Amino acid sequence: MDSKIFLTFGLLGVALVLFFIAVGAPAYFVPYPLKILLLLISLLFDVAAFAARRYSYIMLPLLKQHSKYIVLSNEEPYWLSSSGDSVIKRQKGEYVATAYIMVPFYRSGTEMNEEEKLEYARQMSRLVGVSSDPVRFTTELYLMNKDSYIDELKTAINNAENEEAQLTQGDGKSEQLEIVRGRLTMWRNVLESSSAASSMELITYASISASGTKEYEAVSLVQQKAREVMSGIGSTLGVTPSVVTGREILKFVEPEYLIPFSTISQQMEKKTEEQVI
Amino acid sequence: MMDPNDIFYLAMCGIILLIGVVSLRAFGGLSSIALILILLAAVMILALNWVDFVVFPLFTKMFSIIVQPAKDYTIVTSHDALLKNVGGLYYATGYVTGNLFSYAFKEETEEEGVESQMIQSADKWERAIMSLDFPFKFHVLSVGRDVQKIRDELEGKRSYQEFQLARALENEKASSETATIDIRRQIAVIQAKIDRISAGEKPVSTIMYFETTAVGVSEKAALDQLTTQIKQLQISMSALNLSLSRVAGRELYSLFKFNFSIPLTSDEISAEFSIEG
Repeated sequence: MDSKIFLTFGLLGVALVLFFIAVGAPAYFVPYPLKILLLLISLLFDVAAFAARRYSYIMLPLLKQHSKYIVLSNEEPYWLSSSGDSVIKRQKGEYVATAYIMVPFYRSGTEMNEEEKLEYARQMSRLVGVSSDPVRFTTELYLMNKDSYIDELKTAINNAENEEAQLTQGDGKSEQLEIVRGRLTMWRNVLESSSAASSMELITYASISASGTKEYEAVSLVQQKAREVMSGIGSTLGVTPSVVTGREILKFVEPEYLIPFSTISQQMEKKTEEQVI
Repeated sequence: MMDPNDIFYLAMCGIILLIGVVSLRAFGGLSSIALILILLAAVMILALNWVDFVVFPLFTKMFSIIVQPAKDYTIVTSHDALLKNVGGLYYATGYVTGNLFSYAFKEETEEEGVESQMIQSADKWERAIMSLDFPFKFHVLSVGRDVQKIRDELEGKRSYQEFQLARALENEKASSETATIDIRRQIAVIQAKIDRISAGEKPVSTIMYFETTAVGVSEKAALDQLTTQIKQLQISMSALNLSLSRVAGRELYSLFKFNFSIPLTSDEISAEFSIEG
């Protein structure tokens, strides 16, 4: 029997027994104040039985653990499939695989006339109906991780500085030196503007799940479903969607991938500076 | 509208209350106290049925209950945010409901000015996004509905309206002209929906919500920042005429699970969000 139904009927049973004792027992055997107490406990069980229909997931561990810190699960919420194209979760004895589909859709309302805007809105309405299975479409705004880009800029500056030093020490042409100095100034400006503010990126993706008794079965089913959804998205929006693989998936499931660590430290430094000033 | 499951549970738990009211004499001189207790229990059950998102967080806050839904994640006592600790930094995630449009196939009335709203939506959306400088996600969870079932329902409603119209025309003198106009309008709306399905449009149910993540060096800092972000999100998105309210209670846990696996059937979604349907 489902634990939710078991808990509901268990609590309801206790409530009924206590209630009938309170109502049915003769007054000389159970005095009235005790009857009221029994009624109170019975009603509490009745309310708890009703709550169990939605909150059994918390009530059962609460009863078992006797603690204010209720542990529903001590396991990782998911793991990446060996093929790297799905997220796997174990649920009710089955494996549930979830695939993420990137939708490269970059159109802006500012470049459309009224007719195009209406058609765009209709496209979006059609998009949500591409599959009869539940599909989740997401638009995500996140802070870009510019660490590797900044490292590239720093390397370019170092190279330009070395080149400048070599040309200054040797008898290089002044024209060449000017070109290198110009490049150096350009890279420094780019680095300055890149570090000054955080950059944000807007992406759109869809996610879909499928279950199976084996991990590979769930993965294969979800990839099949993903292909169907991708063809629906492609024909509706006229774009070429792709299944997201590897660590890119983490951007959709882990909160820390929405805000890179380097950006946080920058924000904190800025905040501290503002407070000091 | 209540689903049959809700009615069943309400009836089961209501039996005790009804018998209690009938058997008040069993409590002798304390029957008025018994009546008050029964009424309080009835209020509690009704509150749990309709506003459990208010009652449940109050309960968890009162008893300082913290829930761990998975490794490294905790749901705070107010049950309106999730926390994750990564390397000494706290990531707080919260959810806001944001249904962009009413369920087209549930509504009997066609909204006026839908076309102009659709034209403006792209610009409004872009302006709203540009005013935000923190990460967020906008999710649209859609599920296709049984076309034949919806069609049968609509045809049933159309037949009923046609019967009403025939009756109104028979008693033309008694009924006002506005009543027949209203019935004709209702028939036209239902017919338009049937035509849309006949033209190949799929009826879908959708659940739309926002998710945002804030970071801080302490739990409090992260949660305070999250509250600020949610307020900003509510202000920015209000231009889109959305109903925006912060998610609290059991739905927070459901939405957290959706990050790693999407429900596989429409029944699973209905079980999680009975009110939204």
